[in-house]
Amino acid sequence: MTDPEQRQSKDKDSNEAELIERAKQGDAQAFQALYDKHKRRVYSLCLRMTANTAEAEDLTQEAFLQLYRKIGTFRGESAFSTWLHRLSVNVVLMQLRKKSLPVVSLEETTQGGEEDTPKKDFGAEDLALAGSIDRLQLQKAVDDLPPGYRTIFVLHDVEGYEHNEIATIVGCSIGNSKSQLHKARMKLRDLLKMSRAEKADKS
Amino acid sequence: MAEAQHCKLLWIGITLIQQKLGESGMNCVELQASLAEIEDAKSTEQWNHLRSCPECSALVAELDLIISAATDLRAAEEPSPRVWNSIEIALRQEGLIRPQRSNGSLLPSLSSRWAWARWLAPAAAVLLLTLGIYVRQHSPAEPVARDIAPVTEPSDAAIAGLNDADLLQEVAQLTPAMQAQYADNLRHVNEYIQDAKGVVAANPNDEEARRSLMEAYQEKAMLFDLAMDRSLP
Repeated sequence: MTDPEQRQSKDKDSNEAELIERAKQGDAQAFQALYDKHKRRVYSLCLRMTANTAEAEDLTQEAFLQLYRKIGTFRGESAFSTWLHRLSVNVVLMQLRKKSLPVVSLEETTQGGEEDTPKKDFGAEDLALAGSIDRLQLQKAVDDLPPGYRTIFVLHDVEGYEHNEIATIVGCSIGNSKSQLHKARMKLRDLLKMSRAEKADKS
Repeated sequence: MAEAQHCKLLWIGITLIQQKLGESGMNCVELQASLAEIEDAKSTEQWNHLRSCPECSALVAELDLIISAATDLRAAEEPSPRVWNSIEIALRQEGLIRPQRSNGSLLPSLSSRWAWARWLAPAAAVLLLTLGIYVRQHSPAEPVARDIAPVTEPSDAAIAGLNDADLLQEVAQLTPAMQAQYADNLRHVNEYIQDAKGVVAANPNDEEARRSLMEAYQEKAMLFDLAMDRSLP
C-alpha cells in the first residue's frame, strides 16, 4: 500500500471510529452513515444465502438492529466490519435453522473413502463445464448447497473475504475454512453438471 | 562435436529425470487433496501432475470457471429504503436514537407555518388508542363483549385522522428531498397494513395475525412521528 493509500485507509478508519462513538451517544445520523457504508455487503450476503429479496431485507434489518443494540459494547478489538458480518452470518444461519434446513457443521470431518477416490469423468466430455457458466444456473446451484458450504462459498468466492476473516466471522479454523470451501466448490461442480445433464435429457 | 553431443545427451537425461520425478511426485488423490490449500499459484508438483493428467487438469479448469463466475453473483442491488426506515423506527422506539436539539430548548418552536405538525402527535395517539380498542374487542378472551355489540373494523380514513396526502404535501414543502422516500415508505406500510388486515380477516382468532396488524399500524404512526421530528426546527 502506498503512502496516500495508507493515509486514506487510516482516515476511513478514524471516520468510522468517530461514527461509532457518535452512534453510542444515540446520534441518528451516525447510525445512518454506518448503515449506508455497510448495507450493500450485508444485504448481498443475506441475498446470496436466502435467494429471496424480502427475506434478505428482513435479515439485513435484523442484523443492523442487533448491531446497534450492542454497539455500546464494541471496544474496537476487531474490525467493525468483521463484527457486523459475523452478526449477519449468525442471523442468516439462525433463520435457516428455523426453517429446519440441515446446517452442515463447519467442524465435521470428511467421511472415509470420499476423499480417497480421485474424481474421474470417463466419457463425460459432453457434461464438461466448458466456456462460461450461466449466472442463474450458478445461483440455483448455490441455493442448493447445504447452508454451511453456502456460507463459506459466498463469503470467500462471492464477497471476497480472506480465510482468516472467514475464520473469525464464522468461528472456525483457517484450515477448516479452506477445506469447506474446496468441498463447496466440488459440490457446485457436481450440481452444475447434473443441471446440464437434465437440460440435455430434456432437449 | 563430441562435447555438443555430450551436452545434448545430458540435457535429455535431465528432462527425463524431471519428468519421472513429476510423475512420481504426485498422484491424482494427492493432487485433489492439495487443491484446498491453493490460494494463488500452484506448486511445481501440482503443475507437473496437471500437465500429465487430463482428468485432473479438466477438474481444475472447471473449478477455476466456478470461481471466476462467482464474483458475478455479488449483489449490485441495495436494500429498499423501507429497511432503513424500519431500523430507524425500532431504534427510536427502543430509545437508542436520542433527539438532537441544537437550540437547547425542550419545547419545539411552533409558528403558524408548523401548525399542521401539531396534529401529528395527538393524531398518532388517537390511532394507537383506536387500535388498542379494536384489538381488545377482537380478543378471544372476551367473547361476551363480542356477543353484546357488533364491532365494526375501523376504516383506514378514520384511523388516520392521519391523512397520507397531507403528510406528503407537508414533507414536499418542508423537506422536498425526502418526499420520494416518504411516499415509498407510506406505500410499503399501507401494503403491510392491507396484508395484515387480510390475514386477520381470514383468521380472526389468530393472536399472531392481530399482533402483526397492530405492529403495521404502529409503524405507520411512527412514520408520522418521524415526519414530525424532522419537520420541527
